[in-house]
Amino acid sequence: MAYIISDEAKDLLKDVKNFCDNEVLEQCKEFDRTGEYPADLFAQAGELGFTSLEIPEEFGGPGLSRVDTAALLEEMARADAGFATVISATGLGLKPVLIAGSDEQKQRAADLLMEGGLAAFCLTEPGAGSDAGSGKTSAVRDGDEYVINGRKCFITNGGHAQFYCVTAMTAKDAGVKGMSMFFVEKDTPGLSFGEHEDKMGIRTSSTCDVVFEDCRVPASAMIGEEGTGFETAMKTLDQARAWVGVLAVGIAQRAMDEAVAYGKERVQFGASILKQQALRFKVADMQIKIETARQMCAYALNLMDAGEPFAKESAIAKVYGSDIANECAAEAVQMFGGYGYIRDYPVEKLIRDAKIFQIFEGTNEIQRVVIANHVIGRI
Amino acid sequence: MKIMVCIKQVPDDSVKIELDESTGKPSVEGVEPIVNAFDTYALEMAARFLETGIEGEITTITMGDENSKSSIKNCLAVGASHGYVLHDDLFEGSDAQGTAYALGCAVRKIARDEGGDFDIVFCGIETSDETSGQTGPMLAESLGYSLVTNVIALEKKDGVLHVKQETEDGYNIVETPMPCVLTAARPNYDPRYPTIKSKMAARKMPIGELSAADIGARSDKTGESASLVKTIELAAPPKRKAGIKINEEDIEEASLKAFSIMTDANVL
Repeated sequence: MAYIISDEAKDLLKDVKNFCDNEVLEQCKEFDRTGEYPADLFAQAGELGFTSLEIPEEFGGPGLSRVDTAALLEEMARADAGFATVISATGLGLKPVLIAGSDEQKQRAADLLMEGGLAAFCLTEPGAGSDAGSGKTSAVRDGDEYVINGRKCFITNGGHAQFYCVTAMTAKDAGVKGMSMFFVEKDTPGLSFGEHEDKMGIRTSSTCDVVFEDCRVPASAMIGEEGTGFETAMKTLDQARAWVGVLAVGIAQRAMDEAVAYGKERVQFGASILKQQALRFKVADMQIKIETARQMCAYALNLMDAGEPFAKESAIAKVYGSDIANECAAEAVQMFGGYGYIRDYPVEKLIRDAKIFQIFEGTNEIQRVVIANHVIGRI
Repeated sequence: MKIMVCIKQVPDDSVKIELDESTGKPSVEGVEPIVNAFDTYALEMAARFLETGIEGEITTITMGDENSKSSIKNCLAVGASHGYVLHDDLFEGSDAQGTAYALGCAVRKIARDEGGDFDIVFCGIETSDETSGQTGPMLAESLGYSLVTNVIALEKKDGVLHVKQETEDGYNIVETPMPCVLTAARPNYDPRYPTIKSKMAARKMPIGELSAADIGARSDKTGESASLVKTIELAAPPKRKAGIKINEEDIEEASLKAFSIMTDANVL
């Protein structure tokens, strides 16, 4: 089973799989070890159009449905979750523009990505993680410009993106209603970047602080109306969550594929270990979880395409996908036995990669708050 | 400059294929059809050649069924501008000569329709399924064009085609008049990947279909009845016998054992 996708997406999926098997999978093994950023690989992925997948057709994108795109992203995550995170975080950085931006901003963002660029979404701050509304970054109007000051942290694609969608307080005392969103291009004076974080997993993606020191942007760089930045950020995350689920499913699928391939070959007590019911049931349980998670992602994405409410389903897809990715990665290591714990084998990396999926783009605890709010409503 | 690249759709050669004993044929069900690797090198070499600033376009053709269109589409996504599938029951069971004859008829027909002869007709040196390596040279014969085999690069100098031909010891630089047939060996780069955009565009491009009648192919020159080569039987290569393990702990004893085994086998 997989996503039910269009004929053109099936065609593209073959190409993406071919590229991922031949380039991403092999190269990222080494980049995972060194923590070095695979700049050439991402340049190539940009040229191939991987970072343009979510651009709407009217702005020059491929015009694929979200589920079509999900199938391609899952394949990328199957090869390397860090690689897929960079691609997907570009989609995340594009979303505020698509949700609230002007046509000029949309076209500019699309053009930058179609030239092979990346994007980044800057919401989190050192003191504002789950409590995203408590951000301190400010944007003060000065004539036809805004002057941005502050520090964002844990920014995927920081330092490598062509543009950043940044939340900043334009009215300090107005709470979340005082937050606005800005479109900041990479060479803007006053924009700088912190050290590349030495992460546990998704090590082929770049994560760093993004710093604004008297960073001046034209007033036209505001995305949407003044004071709507928090709302745009929340809408962005509502969508993005389903995509996190998609990537997590890719990790889980890889875990099962590796476990089955190894289990067939590994002989103990004179037979493949996959003749043992205890291990066969592990595989069955992995498959049940993977397929359930995948179809939850597809459902949330189909709701988005149909213009129906999707926030609850998107949160479920994220929580469930990331939880089962961690479970499947751990079970794959178990299937490999002692070898699974060794870096020369492919599965320990999956545990390291999977963990962040329960944390970023809204922790799974926050997702459960979102889901509970939807189910219970006001008391 | 007009270049024709002849391709063949073959089963993915990265998958191990077994012989189906009940049919006596290779069991290729579920194996992904791909463009023969040497043909992809031909296409890439042709594309790079034109990218050096030579005005021209690439047409690609294959002989095969409806499914072969997907391979032509893949070629349209990585440098070809026009694609054709040569399809007719008459072509079934053709040997290399029958295939070369039909391709020759098609190349002439397309040249007439597109208003001008092809300067270069490019093939892979061989296919990964049948590995006969004959179709390219026979196509040169059928068209009456000059032939250079094992090509790894080409360049146009002062209106003449300079072709780098791989040999066992190194390479030759060969000058050839055009039109010519070239067969491609593996160059020192990999063919490009299709982009999302080029693939989406390729899917919308028309693919011409040509029958035996369309190209004026004669039934006594192509197809099974015209085949001079008959396949009598296909056999899987014999399974390698298990080797001999030398388990002696001591290096000296192990060496002596190895020598005695080789002496007994009369290889020393």
